[in-house]
Amino acid sequence: MRPVPASPSRVLRRLPLHMGALLTFAVCAFPVYWMVLTAFKPTADIQAETPLFLPTSLTLEHFSAAVNADGFWLFWRNSLIVTAGCVLLALAVALGSAFAVARLRWKGRRGFVLMVFIAQVAPWEALLIPMYVIARDTDMLDRLPTLTLVYFMITLPFTIVTLRSFLTGIPRELEEAAQVDGCTRAAAFRRVTLPLLAPGLLATSLFGFITAWNEFAFANMLIIKNQDDRTLPVWLSSFSNVFGTDWGATMAASTLFALPVLILFLVLQRRVASGLAGGAVKG
Amino acid sequence: MKIRFIPTAAVLAASCVLTACSSAPSGSGQAGGPDTLTVWIMKDSVSDAYLQRFEKDFEQQHKDTVLDIQIQEWDGIGEKITAALASKDAPDVIEVGNTQVAQYAQSGGVLDLSDKVTELQGADWLPGLAEPGKVDGKQYGIPWYAANRVVIYNKDLFARAGVTAPPKTRDEWLRITEKLNRGKTQGIYLPGQNWYTLAGFIWEEGGELAEKQGDEWKGALDSPEATRGMDFYQRLQALGKGPKDSDEAKPPQADVFAKGDVAQVIAVPGGAKIVEQANPALAGKLGFFPIPGRTAGTPGATFTGGSDLIIPAASAHPDAAYQVVKSLAGEKWQRDLAKTMSYVPNRTSLADALQDDAGTAAMAAAAAQGRATPNSPQWAAVEATNPIKEYMTAVLTGSNRQKAAKDASDAISKTLNS
Amino acid sequence: MTPPAARPGATKVPVPTATTAAPAPSPAPAPVPPGGRRALPGSLWPYLLIAPTVLGITALLAYPLARNLLISLQHYGMAELIRGGAHFAGLENYREILGDAEFWRVTRRTLWWTAINVVLIMVIGTAVALMLQRLGRRMRTLVLSGLVLAWASPVIATTTVFQWLFSSRLGVVNWLLVRLGFESFQDYSWLAHGPAAFTVLVLLVVWQSVPFVAITLHSALTTVPTELFESARIDGAGGWRIFHSITLPLLRPIFGLVLSLEVIWVFRCFAQIWAVTGGGPGGATTTLPVYAYQVARSLHRYDLGAAAATVTVLILIAALILYFRQMFRQEAEL
Repeated sequence: MRPVPASPSRVLRRLPLHMGALLTFAVCAFPVYWMVLTAFKPTADIQAETPLFLPTSLTLEHFSAAVNADGFWLFWRNSLIVTAGCVLLALAVALGSAFAVARLRWKGRRGFVLMVFIAQVAPWEALLIPMYVIARDTDMLDRLPTLTLVYFMITLPFTIVTLRSFLTGIPRELEEAAQVDGCTRAAAFRRVTLPLLAPGLLATSLFGFITAWNEFAFANMLIIKNQDDRTLPVWLSSFSNVFGTDWGATMAASTLFALPVLILFLVLQRRVASGLAGGAVKG
Repeated sequence: MKIRFIPTAAVLAASCVLTACSSAPSGSGQAGGPDTLTVWIMKDSVSDAYLQRFEKDFEQQHKDTVLDIQIQEWDGIGEKITAALASKDAPDVIEVGNTQVAQYAQSGGVLDLSDKVTELQGADWLPGLAEPGKVDGKQYGIPWYAANRVVIYNKDLFARAGVTAPPKTRDEWLRITEKLNRGKTQGIYLPGQNWYTLAGFIWEEGGELAEKQGDEWKGALDSPEATRGMDFYQRLQALGKGPKDSDEAKPPQADVFAKGDVAQVIAVPGGAKIVEQANPALAGKLGFFPIPGRTAGTPGATFTGGSDLIIPAASAHPDAAYQVVKSLAGEKWQRDLAKTMSYVPNRTSLADALQDDAGTAAMAAAAAQGRATPNSPQWAAVEATNPIKEYMTAVLTGSNRQKAAKDASDAISKTLNS
Repeated sequence: MTPPAARPGATKVPVPTATTAAPAPSPAPAPVPPGGRRALPGSLWPYLLIAPTVLGITALLAYPLARNLLISLQHYGMAELIRGGAHFAGLENYREILGDAEFWRVTRRTLWWTAINVVLIMVIGTAVALMLQRLGRRMRTLVLSGLVLAWASPVIATTTVFQWLFSSRLGVVNWLLVRLGFESFQDYSWLAHGPAAFTVLVLLVVWQSVPFVAITLHSALTTVPTELFESARIDGAGGWRIFHSITLPLLRPIFGLVLSLEVIWVFRCFAQIWAVTGGGPGGATTTLPVYAYQVARSLHRYDLGAAAATVTVLILIAALILYFRQMFRQEAEL
């Protein structure tokens, strides 16, 4: 941004804008702040009549309750495996389709695009029962790969649609120039387009990651007897039971649950941003 | 109909690679060796120590079986059990609540154990557990244990308020609770959606949750009797700070009670143990009395909760599974359960197993007035959406009570008749 | 954009300049030189590339959908799920669903639910995106990180937090409202009153959805050369005029995409409603997905649930048909 001398009138004029910005930040961040704060608060403070907005004393007891709960790391790892598998799979499959749609001419392309769009409307909650029956009849119950496949399908349509629009944003002339320079088409794609597409791939994978990381209904229905294959959301629900809706531990577990996504965001965000900026100097 | 997935090579390869590391350690001992029996027990139904004792003892007696006891969460348990019953490799023994067992028994997914009733001495089973497990004369659910709610009170707070003896009648109960509800002390902590307690009050007034008229069920929360039951609940609920829109689990009432400024709470006697665990300073300071009735001498009607055990038809080891059921329902482990958890044993002839402590005495006194929820396989579906809880909150927060009662009754009728 | 200053937080969806923003449409793309590979005729490549997607959609979506359709035409309850042997029922389930007054009440409510949420999300999201554009670097980073925080927090976690924020006894919201002088909110049970519960859910869903819209629109805006705005301003165009004649047209394609995605997501929204109210009180927050779930899973009438789901999909496709048509036309132009 261009440095502008800050005159008092200017500051005054921008006051509503900054108030709005602060309000937006506060509204967005408060629930997350409250979650993390509660996770660190002693139980007595959590149940205080007047909410304590700043910590008076902090405790790790809720975190140790959450982490020491039976199998926390196992479920955490299960979730990570399923989620990562679904994201990679969806990216690989979607990249091919997005390329075909954005770069090639072929008969049936419109129909294909329409199919992908309509696939986004799929009523997944309603497909629980048919999915269960199919998984049972194919001996796919109680297995993590089944979940990977289901999540892959849930995220695939959106991944294709977004990758396609990323691809159309990259001028095909770049590839063609590389081909003129003697590259094969595949090499041109790999060397020229793919690097430019990297931020798009990352941004898209974030969506897939969040979706799969959150999913509860299928994980609860398709993993039945093999309790060691449960995922984190299913486990997280275990904090609400007859004698123990323990807000402290629930918030600690929620914090740990949100952590990978938040980290991924912070790490990738910079690369996505720089990638976009890099794409801007495409020349 | 059998159709295979036709995953592409990429799909298959990727998912195999990614999950290869996970599938190794997760196998629960299916390799050769002894049979592994999976047993599902509900969360907080019995203590870990009891289960460990049982597991060790059972495995000693049956060298060829290994028990894998899995604790199940209440959330979404109906769907989970349905999924288990429908699967090809089901758990071998499942604990099921007595209000839920009928629907599973009816589904055809549960093993018929009628020929074992004599061996299990089913003649004096508690009817509140045995009947829901029975469909068309066949016994599918085997009674395990029962429990009913009593009032747990804080003796110190009672003494400070000058209350010397537990109340004998409901009027007296209201009077002393009002006396206790002073300053920082809550007379009673009664969340607005403790519908088991409301059911007791309704029965005490002569009302019902639902009545069967010919072939049709009809929700009965709008009857004058049921309305009187709700009135009493409202008067009692006002004598404390229980949230009007929540049940005893949110927040956990044991935790609230453990803070020490609540004079009374309604729970199963075993709840006292959780309170003492949360606040050891209260150990020995908790008293019990049956929920008072309208007249002195007879405790109020109360809901009998409890569990049955079922064996899924899809169990791979039905015979071994039966051995587990036989042990759990047999005298030795029933007596242990009564001692450990203060539960009422599944057979009336074992009632002497209940130790002479105040909690179980109060429970035993109330058990005589024990009642069950309407005997319909669809009742579990009513609990799943629970219009009763909504009705209670509506009344307590000042909505039109006639309309709320009518709406809830209609919802119950609709579900029971579908 | 002039200097390629790294823009922290330009995340998420691209900048689908798709059709409109391409200044010089690439020359008729027909005779793309069939690249290096000689083994395959070029015309086969597209089909190979889409094959995994087609297979996936067929096996993992179309087939389950077909099974769902089949179930909706059968008598299918708990017993049939466990033992099999379901009988054909024709259109009976559809008749039962469509003849149920409750179903139509729920449908109406779902349309309201979608309309209210989507309008709020799009208006607030656009406002925040425009605000971001005018903010200084530091403030923008602050707001963006707030948005990212809200967006990245898993639904399950934030839903739990909201339940707690709005809980009647120790909830922060009631405490705050009482402090502000609204005494009637002392121990107010939000989830016990239909409209209040509905409001809580709208707030939750809007809170969860705005970041996506704001961040996406913001990153679309940043692709607009600032010179465009500058020159417009020099020409004496006012703020509203700039918005109307520059910002809006530039945003239109991405706006359409975001709008349709939000319609789909809000309409299908299930987990939040189920976790917070379970569809209550008195059905005041029961939308179509919740209704289908209740019928299927609580009442074990999988057949009715399947029928309700089929009807739901048809309604959603009908609602989006305009968007599909427009997209179709764009595809044709490509």
